Amino acid sequence: MTETYIAIDQNLCTGCQECTKVCPNLAIEGLPHQPQKTNPDKCVRCGQCVQKCKSYVSIAEHGAAAYARVRKERGLPDAFKEPLFAAHFFSRIDEVKKALADPDLFTVVQCAPAVRVAIAEDFGAPLGTLAAGKLAAALRRIGFDKVFDTNFAADVTIMEEGSELIDRVKKGGVLPMFTSCCPAWVRYLELNYPGQRQHLSTCKSPQQMEGALFKTYGAKLLNVPPKKLYSVSVMPCTCKQSESARPEMKDSGQRDVDVVLTTRELAWLIKDLGIDFQALPDEKYDSPLGDYTGAAEIFGVSGGVMEAALRTGYELLTGQPIPAVDVTAVRGTNGFRHADVQVGDLTLKVGVVTGLKHVKPVMEDLKAGRLDLHFVEVMTCPEGCISGGGQPKLICDTDAGEAFGNRVAATYEHDRGLPLRKSHENPSVQKLYADFLKKPLGHESHKLLHTTYCGDPKHH
Amino acid sequence: MPSEFGLFVSTDIAKCSGCKACEMACFQSHNIKRNNVGKTVGTISVPVTPKLYVTVIETASMPVQCKHCENSPCKAVCQQKAISRVGSQIIVDEAKCIGCKDCLMACPFGAIALLPFYVGGRQAPQADSSGGKVAASKCDLCYEDPEGPACVRVCPNEALRLTDVNEERKKKNIAAAEALAVINAGDPGRRALS
Amino acid sequence: MLCIGCRTCMIGCVVAHEGKHIFEVDPDGYDFHPKLKVIKTFNVSVPVQCKHCEAPACMAACKSDAIHIVNGTVIIRTEKCIGCKSCAEACPFGAIQMVTLGSARNADGAPRSVANKCDLCQDQPKGPACLRVCPTAALRLVKEEDLGQTLKNKRLATLGLALGAEAQKQAAIGA
Repeated sequence: MTETYIAIDQNLCTGCQECTKVCPNLAIEGLPHQPQKTNPDKCVRCGQCVQKCKSYVSIAEHGAAAYARVRKERGLPDAFKEPLFAAHFFSRIDEVKKALADPDLFTVVQCAPAVRVAIAEDFGAPLGTLAAGKLAAALRRIGFDKVFDTNFAADVTIMEEGSELIDRVKKGGVLPMFTSCCPAWVRYLELNYPGQRQHLSTCKSPQQMEGALFKTYGAKLLNVPPKKLYSVSVMPCTCKQSESARPEMKDSGQRDVDVVLTTRELAWLIKDLGIDFQALPDEKYDSPLGDYTGAAEIFGVSGGVMEAALRTGYELLTGQPIPAVDVTAVRGTNGFRHADVQVGDLTLKVGVVTGLKHVKPVMEDLKAGRLDLHFVEVMTCPEGCISGGGQPKLICDTDAGEAFGNRVAATYEHDRGLPLRKSHENPSVQKLYADFLKKPLGHESHKLLHTTYCGDPKHH
Repeated sequence: MPSEFGLFVSTDIAKCSGCKACEMACFQSHNIKRNNVGKTVGTISVPVTPKLYVTVIETASMPVQCKHCENSPCKAVCQQKAISRVGSQIIVDEAKCIGCKDCLMACPFGAIALLPFYVGGRQAPQADSSGGKVAASKCDLCYEDPEGPACVRVCPNEALRLTDVNEERKKKNIAAAEALAVINAGDPGRRALS
Repeated sequence: MLCIGCRTCMIGCVVAHEGKHIFEVDPDGYDFHPKLKVIKTFNVSVPVQCKHCEAPACMAACKSDAIHIVNGTVIIRTEKCIGCKSCAEACPFGAIQMVTLGSARNADGAPRSVANKCDLCQDQPKGPACLRVCPTAALRLVKEEDLGQTLKNKRLATLGLALGAEAQKQAAIGA
């Protein structure tokens, strides 16, 4: 299979193998001091190698003309001035620019929660600056017809995934249930533990839920034919593009998400269009598919999906609001942590894995029948999506602690500052269920928001 | 702390992976003020111009960088007086450099490169021509950075260290003296004498 | 352990290389740069100096072709030294010290600093000054043939010990 997601430039790689130390699936092959290659059949496209690589196109080593040549090879705009590194992801900027220029298309965009706590860094702001309002303004200046938000679908995810968990617990379904928001984790499981597939939640990721809702519910609200609706997503992730291309992700009748940009690509696009990001005013996301609660925002940090699910699940199961909205027991940065959470009569045993390297022992325990948990969140990247492969790349890895710490802090700060902090309290989500989906795990939900991950991972 | 002889950064070749993290950190450290470089790659808008040069062969790699020679050939040949000794270190004043390349030729290590010189995100003009300025670029031990050499700080394999030959010599002398004590103790001829 | 740490060897070294009656001239009129250094630790006092390695790390590290082996002795030609310190960094014994010369300046008038280490007093007809001046005769010149003889003696002694042990064993069996 030809790689169209992540690759290492053979002319630039010095063979330092630092990337092999962060690759969670041993997908990078080669001898020391010689160019390395990614094995596309094993690569889970998490992009951590892209973050690690420091081997850049150098005037001193490769000559003055090399930079412009490589930039052209990679389809990057002339306004692009950043260094070019050996390990890179394939950019989809051109596709987005074409769609924006097409007068027949109605363009809608969604943005993941982690993007807004990091993108300002690429415009010189301190690490982990929250820029939710500037981000919405920038997307509008770029020319998207509607600026929606993945966070809306994250609230929907909680309704669906929370209900699915309660269903599995009450009806004796397959447990533990694992989250399915992270496509690199889904791919890792398909490649390495196909027999454990039934442990995955059937929920699509928030990106794919939002995409499916854009071209159904959204198309009706906007009065735009779904075929003319072009759906763009901005993600902290280098794997989301491949998730959007999966054969399962066409439940709206077409491809639910047409193209995915990383946080860094969006910054390139903003610079290419000459938009002064730091000078932008704070603007709001468009309603209703851009309305969100604090529970959705924390999807970007490790333990966030779990915490959001507990905030809502507690109330769904007991009829009472959760005593403390901040579920600190599941927060943190340890590779694998677990907690017992009392939900009425039920002691819910939950686990959180962050950094895919930590999932192997958990999966081995699962196979051996030793994993005594109800619900497990798995995120591939070191501290969840805020440290994703598509996030602003640090010049010095020694700044990673500060960058991740600040991004996590900004995420929780944003959550605390929002008027609503539980997914089921989102009025636009309530309206979505009243007018369209009817109920979680209902017929429409089943059709649009859930899936069976069935494809052979070698073919997508 | 001033030292009698020039400090320099040395490499433990067994540990160096050749990753160029040192080059990126070096460039960042020297361009925070000069070219508004922040902490992410997205804040870089000028060519990466390091002051040390990672060199890779099939069996090894190391960043080649200035040894801050006591009788510096580069300084000796610079007609512009653009290279001088500041404290114990050899420093290039890019403003004075006219790009004659004599220092590149004189340095036996290849520790100096001629690279574009940018200020405020733009290539500075060359003093006597319409072209963009190029200047000699070599290690200055990050003398303006209170935290010391950036390359040493960021090396993921701890392969680099700031070396003071006087200090290192004292440690090696003690080890050598202790070794001599062992050798003497194992020498029966010596034992008989004493 | 004959060395008493008196540092006479260091002074002898300077006298031999400066060629001056150093106690009779102005202290600023000569360079006091001994090529060996007495090191005192809790366990030992001993002069540390160049071992004249067969594969000298200093010579391998020198980029200005200033270090050579001449008749088995590792010699620094200081007129070629650019003061890069690579040899001092490379020497595992710390036997090379950077020194600033009072007697020579660089072309630009700046002080000249070079690598300095034991040259076995190659210019002295009577051989190394350090061992001639040592009041306790603690130093000796190890020559290749001496090393061979020493090893031979050690091996003979080892054989002697083994014979003694064997005789004891036989006696024990006999008894």
